[in-house]
Amino acid sequence: MVRANGITLHTQRLDPPGPAVDGRTGPTPTAVLIHGMASDTMASWYFTLAEPLSRAGFPTVLYDLRGHGRSERPATGYALDDFVDDLAALLDSLDVTGPLLLLGNSFGGTIAFGYAARHPDRVAGIVTVESGPPVPEWMRRVRERLARVAARLPRAGAVTEIGARRGRVAAQRAAETQRMLTDTSLAQELPASPLPTAGALAAIGCPVLCLYGGDSAVVELAPTVRGLLPQTRVVVLPDQKHTVLIDRPEEVRRLVFAWLAEECSLDVAQPTTA
Amino acid sequence: MPPAQDTILAELTEMIDAVLGDFADDQVVTMDTTFSADLGMESIDVVALAGRLQSRYGDTVNFAHFVAKLDLETVRELKVGQLVGHIADSLGQADEVGAGSR
Repeated sequence: MVRANGITLHTQRLDPPGPAVDGRTGPTPTAVLIHGMASDTMASWYFTLAEPLSRAGFPTVLYDLRGHGRSERPATGYALDDFVDDLAALLDSLDVTGPLLLLGNSFGGTIAFGYAARHPDRVAGIVTVESGPPVPEWMRRVRERLARVAARLPRAGAVTEIGARRGRVAAQRAAETQRMLTDTSLAQELPASPLPTAGALAAIGCPVLCLYGGDSAVVELAPTVRGLLPQTRVVVLPDQKHTVLIDRPEEVRRLVFAWLAEECSLDVAQPTTA
Repeated sequence: MPPAQDTILAELTEMIDAVLGDFADDQVVTMDTTFSADLGMESIDVVALAGRLQSRYGDTVNFAHFVAKLDLETVRELKVGQLVGHIADSLGQADEVGAGSR
């Protein structure tokens, strides 16, 4: 648990067991893994890419966003800038001062872009899974998605129905998401967030990798990302949904490590599963 | 069960209770108890447990590395006994190389 920006954030660090990655252009970046909004936690990164990144030599930081997982849940403060402020303060508290490799799942990717727009010199690379930069088109989708969840969960029997279909743990998680949307202003504040200017986003100069599931509507953002940040490598995983990170962790890992070697000049060996 | 595993199971049970807090069931944790189906632990609860393991045993017991070696199905059905075994092995190896002990 780490105090940052006035709240307590559940944080975990995985230190590389061996030598640092051989960065040909400077110090090894710290990998920071940012999860998605509402029903997500750091677990989706913990069980997929955290360990391979740390084993490849990256100091790795995971945290639960405010209101999520085991982090503190203030009633308000859920605009994009609040999440960016949390990340900046967390890195200060952890004394992480060097370059950063930001990896974001779903809205976590938007926080990564939001951080890079305000701290462009800190970010050595951005990886997003099923995400996009904070632009009006994407925020409109976030608004619709949050409104749908907020309308569905409080209905009588909704959580019981999820339990019958997907089991006890899924029902617990749905009930938890409902509590969060009831106890906080997230569903109202987040979609109304002040956004960085297009100029500030376009000034992000680091390599960018954006992964999408071919069957997810989020892939429609790809042309916007390419237009804004032409250096972006976009990879679409066919037949995959919004949950591609947890459904296809091996493929995501392979694509991220290839991109690190080819676009970020980091000599990362493809980790074996041994 | 060797005495060492007995001790580890008792410690692990305390950590599980602490992680689950008010949501802990009154059931007895055994080597066959599953984290998900029996204890109702969500993935983030397991991550929180990993944090407690790191605080208690240090980097000797690398939970992230342990789960990375398992396939997803095994992680979903992970039993308390598998983790106890991993902890016992890690501590045993650490003793052997003299790199650390409990």
